[in-house]
Amino acid sequence: MPFHDEPLLQEELIVKYLQRRLDAATTEAFESHYLMCDQCFEELRASQLLAECLSQSRIDRRYSGEIAILQFTTPVQLTRRAAELSALSQSILEQKDTNVLIDLSRVSRIDSAGLGLLMSCYSHVIKNRKALKLLNPSRDVRELLHVTKIDVVLETYDDEQKALRSFEHS
Amino acid sequence: MDINDEILDKFRLKLRTKVRYHVGVACPDLEDLVHETLVRFLRFAKEDRIRNPDNVGAFLNGVCNNVILEYRRRLWREEPYEPEFREDRRATAPDAELMEVRQAIEIGLAQLSHRDRAILRSFYLEERSKKEICEVLGLTDPQFRVTLFRAKERFRTIYRESLKQRAAGNH
Repeated sequence: MPFHDEPLLQEELIVKYLQRRLDAATTEAFESHYLMCDQCFEELRASQLLAECLSQSRIDRRYSGEIAILQFTTPVQLTRRAAELSALSQSILEQKDTNVLIDLSRVSRIDSAGLGLLMSCYSHVIKNRKALKLLNPSRDVRELLHVTKIDVVLETYDDEQKALRSFEHS
Repeated sequence: MDINDEILDKFRLKLRTKVRYHVGVACPDLEDLVHETLVRFLRFAKEDRIRNPDNVGAFLNGVCNNVILEYRRRLWREEPYEPEFREDRRATAPDAELMEVRQAIEIGLAQLSHRDRAILRSFYLEERSKKEICEVLGLTDPQFRVTLFRAKERFRTIYRESLKQRAAGNH
């Protein structure tokens, strides 16, 4: 497979890889290629950083005491192909010594990858002996959290002050 | 194939990217999976069992796929979800990686104009094709390419710098 033919085609391939839009065979071929090709790997990492950087700027982070409140600045979907998934994860992994409250008001949809990520983040926060809670999910997201019984583990609130106060008892 | 320390470091870096792509950044076992892949690969190399030396990338990729697959099977066999409190299994948040991203945010975003950011967001985050972006934002093909590759160059530089810092930190 020609990976170096034309810079824009190469970039489109990388973007599709990052967005998980390549079929399995092309993904396999591209990964086999970049494991040996420093140039393509460098292009991939630069694009990955660029995409992460652009998505990170969509997450607003503010603090209330020892609680980090993360909120998306634009409407997003936490789905398998969304760059925000990785950005949210990075943001939470950076919170080593704080509790985390994720404001989901601008999240219109979550799929299994998004739910998996929330649980991984929860696991990470718990290991640091802190707590992660959710705020303002939409009706659909709330229903999904309920059906999957994730709301049993991840406390969910509609009122920010109430959510912040709940950390005192965690 | 002569596998020296430099090649191993490159493989480790690349495998970390691949494994993270497949198991997620929050996976606490990411480094273990990379390490296991390298151990198996080196064992095959030592025993001269890499049948096609011209296609080492595909071989290494296959080994890594198997390691990830076995890891997933093991997770499925284990209990569905049980928070662990063992201190030694904290999720990996490689500081160097986070530093790269922070640098990228600070340096990269400060240098982008509003229009450039809109172009890049459309291309990298919103799954729009070059044609669509050019139509919506009224750009010509060269304008699109200049914006894209100028931004890429900035982030390529950031990436190279982070590699240098990492190499300096290792010595």
